[in-house]
Amino acid sequence: MRPRKLLRIARWETTTGVGGLDRGAVAVVLAAVAFVGAVGVVGLVGGVAIEDGIYRVGVDENSRFHAPAAEDPSLAVVEPDPAVVADGRLETGQGYDIYVQETADGTRLYLAETGGEPTEKSRAAATAFREAVEAHNERRMRLESNETAAFPVVVTLEFVARDDADGADADGDGDGGSGGNGGGAGDGSGSGDGDDTGGPGGPSGGTGTGDGGVGVPSLGAFDLFGTAGTAGSPSDISPPFPFQSLVLAFVFVLPLNFLIQAYGSSMLAERLDRRGELLLVAPVSPAEIVFGKTLPYLAAALGITTVIVAGLRWLGGGAGPLSVLAVVPLALLFLATTFLGAMFARSYKELTFVSVTVSTLLTTYAFVPAVFAGTSPVAFVSPLTVAVRDLTGAGVTAGQLAFATGPATLVAGVCFLLGLGVYREEDLFTQRPVHLKALDALAGRIRRPRSLVLVVALMVPFVFVAELLAVVLLFALPVAVSVPAVFGAIAVIEELAKGVPVYAGFVRGRYDRTLGAAVAAGSAAGVGFFLAEKLSLAVQVVGLPEVAVADAAFQTGLGSGSLAVVALLAVAPLLLHVVTATVSAVGGSRGRRGFLAGLAAAALLHLCYNVAVVSRLV
Amino acid sequence: MSRIAVARRELGSLSREKTIVLAILIQVIIAGFSSFLVVGLTSLYDPDAAGGDVEVAVTGEAADAMVAAAAETEGLRPRRVADPADARAAFDRGEVAAAVRAERRDGRIAVSASVPQSSLRKTLVVVQLRTALKTLERDERVARSDSLAAPPLSVPPATDASPYFGFSYTVLLPLLVFLPVFISGAVLVDSLTEEIERGTLELLRVTPLSFVGVVDGKAGLLAALAPAQVLAWVALLSVNGIAVSNVAALVVMAAALAVVAAGVAAGLALAVPVRQRAQLTYSLGALAAFAAAAGLPEHPATTVARLAIGSAARTTWLHLAGYVVAAVVVAVAVRRYAGTISPERFG
Repeated sequence: MRPRKLLRIARWETTTGVGGLDRGAVAVVLAAVAFVGAVGVVGLVGGVAIEDGIYRVGVDENSRFHAPAAEDPSLAVVEPDPAVVADGRLETGQGYDIYVQETADGTRLYLAETGGEPTEKSRAAATAFREAVEAHNERRMRLESNETAAFPVVVTLEFVARDDADGADADGDGDGGSGGNGGGAGDGSGSGDGDDTGGPGGPSGGTGTGDGGVGVPSLGAFDLFGTAGTAGSPSDISPPFPFQSLVLAFVFVLPLNFLIQAYGSSMLAERLDRRGELLLVAPVSPAEIVFGKTLPYLAAALGITTVIVAGLRWLGGGAGPLSVLAVVPLALLFLATTFLGAMFARSYKELTFVSVTVSTLLTTYAFVPAVFAGTSPVAFVSPLTVAVRDLTGAGVTAGQLAFATGPATLVAGVCFLLGLGVYREEDLFTQRPVHLKALDALAGRIRRPRSLVLVVALMVPFVFVAELLAVVLLFALPVAVSVPAVFGAIAVIEELAKGVPVYAGFVRGRYDRTLGAAVAAGSAAGVGFFLAEKLSLAVQVVGLPEVAVADAAFQTGLGSGSLAVVALLAVAPLLLHVVTATVSAVGGSRGRRGFLAGLAAAALLHLCYNVAVVSRLV
Repeated sequence: MSRIAVARRELGSLSREKTIVLAILIQVIIAGFSSFLVVGLTSLYDPDAAGGDVEVAVTGEAADAMVAAAAETEGLRPRRVADPADARAAFDRGEVAAAVRAERRDGRIAVSASVPQSSLRKTLVVVQLRTALKTLERDERVARSDSLAAPPLSVPPATDASPYFGFSYTVLLPLLVFLPVFISGAVLVDSLTEEIERGTLELLRVTPLSFVGVVDGKAGLLAALAPAQVLAWVALLSVNGIAVSNVAALVVMAAALAVVAAGVAAGLALAVPVRQRAQLTYSLGALAAFAAAAGLPEHPATTVARLAIGSAARTTWLHLAGYVVAAVVVAVAVRRYAGTISPERFG
């Protein structure tokens, strides 16, 4: 690959491809982005409530409970009609979910019921009403002149690492109480790690007691960047909610979704009306064309991310180059899968769907694990976790960084490799269904059964990512459900990874449809998979085996502590993979239906092995 | 008749390319993903799912009041410990989930709580502690109500409601209504710009079809697909025990919005007959419109939520009527615009 040619193509892409956007279009885009950004900020600060008025409360205007209901956006106050509760019950369908009745001897709260049971909705409404009353009390207390009576309890909450010397110090000398001296600027929080990235809300929350008034909720009240501990009255405590991951996922991933649309269009445009032929006959290699065309988009992704990170830093986060680095694999992954999609798709419509599917899947992959950034090692499955921890100032080790970014980068690389395999005249300008194109891309790397070792090994990053995703999606469930589910998912994923390349070889006629060839191909696939799978030992780096589900998924056996078990588990999979791959290969040699049957049999075999051998030994 | 032929051809191409399957797959992923979040996040808060009671060590001179408040909190077990060092040791050994120290200072109770930094139960521990502390605060306020100008209102008793009951209606359903609508427009942009770029739109000139008829057929089909999908989702949700009210109104709303989206998409595709630009403008425009809708008295997502949960007020119905009017206006405007365009322009 020659850098000069690469850069020239990149320049063309920026001037013609992106240049297809004239000045007017760019202005429209910029205006829309600015508008969305502005509205987004307003929405975050002002809290656009979708749940506006979803529960109806019947409460009289003169009631003490009218104000709390009127102040809460999720409650809609409805003029009460005493007739509906005349018989001491409130039926559903009367226009009320809950009804507050003030009588001489007290206040009664009616929940709408059907068949004598309060409905789920009325119970939810009652909970919302209870919260509204609490919030109302809180606001009223702030107006009281006697603050000691209004806020009789002062809380300092710290997150302490167990057995941590620093944490013990901070806790031991009673420093935590200093939150009460008011006005205590940032460093008064007394948390063990001296971490003050809490943003503007942190310090203001800490002033809660001394000089009057608990800090008014501001943007920082979301605790966007830290869970470093809070101080104030009990209602100031916000449970560590993975809100930051939610915001970050959207902030970092949303621009990528737009970028890949433009990228996909540009890539597919080459394939319409044989436009790409001109470049293909030029003295440049396909790799130079592809990477030259990709470079501007990657640069744009990096630029956008840098701007976002700088913006977050300005907002008070501890973000730095590490956050940008964490988004690179994600950007690569988005671009690589879109490239592959553009190579496979027959039309823009198909591309739109392929890329939307891909981006929802990738967003899940980036987002779901990051939800657990503060709580579980599972979080390191997603590169975004690195960004989250960088922002909160928690820091990551080199091993964690490699674990979070490695699989994604590898998958991106493999996608580019497969796409490059079909970046040639005979594939670019032909129209074939997506799945056949995918088989073509795989078969492009197969010459004889032996090549399967490499091709199947290439599939392992996909398998790794898919299995990690399965673990993440299932680990929150009880172990009794999650472990069998993970076993099943893994059997299917791994057998697909081994079986599909073998099948691709049969379909493209790379080797004969004989029993011998099938056995050879299956064995090669099994060996390739086994070798590459040993990569999965990388899960050790972040201590994932502590999570029962993860141990079930990756079968390291290290949880058992017995040397014999570890040794057996290191060799037994080789046999398993060879046998199951051969089963599906033999099926594949009989055609499509045979392949599906073989695949099912192989997955079943794999599942039995997992359940019988692994669950007994580990 | 010819319009139906165009629509049928469009449907044929959609199903041949399996795009419909993919579209539904996308929605399943998104719905599953958000439901996963609900289940996962509920388990973070739910004492039953997170493995039994939370035990806390309580020390300090005001420990008795704290213990009394904690005992009232379900799922929280206070343990009275005399020496703070013992509490800390128990915390380090993992015997207690949190160490709480309650002291009387300046006429208040100062509580400092240590919660483990990395634990799956962290959220639950904090939630439980907060409940206990709020009880303590309430007790103290009542005890000091003589010093208060207005004593606090009594809080209604707690009911066992799912904290995520509202989620299905306020997030999931709006999502499932707006996604098909958005996708319909996006597909229409693709479909029209592709015909234009490939030059096949001009071929339609030799057929007895009017240009407006072609746009009608394509846009009509895609606008009809969105409410059909919404109906399917509602059926699926009902099977899963999520009852949805005002289904007819929801379908009308999806249809009206889909007509608006398809109309705008068709207009864009004809005005900017380059896929890349038209698609980008469409998606950014949709995003901007969704954000700008926050300026309405009732956001469309709120309208969907209120309709679905069965709390529709008069404003909700007025908004729905507004969307229907908007759909008619857009449809008329786009048809008129398409009528002024000669397909030769794209040659």
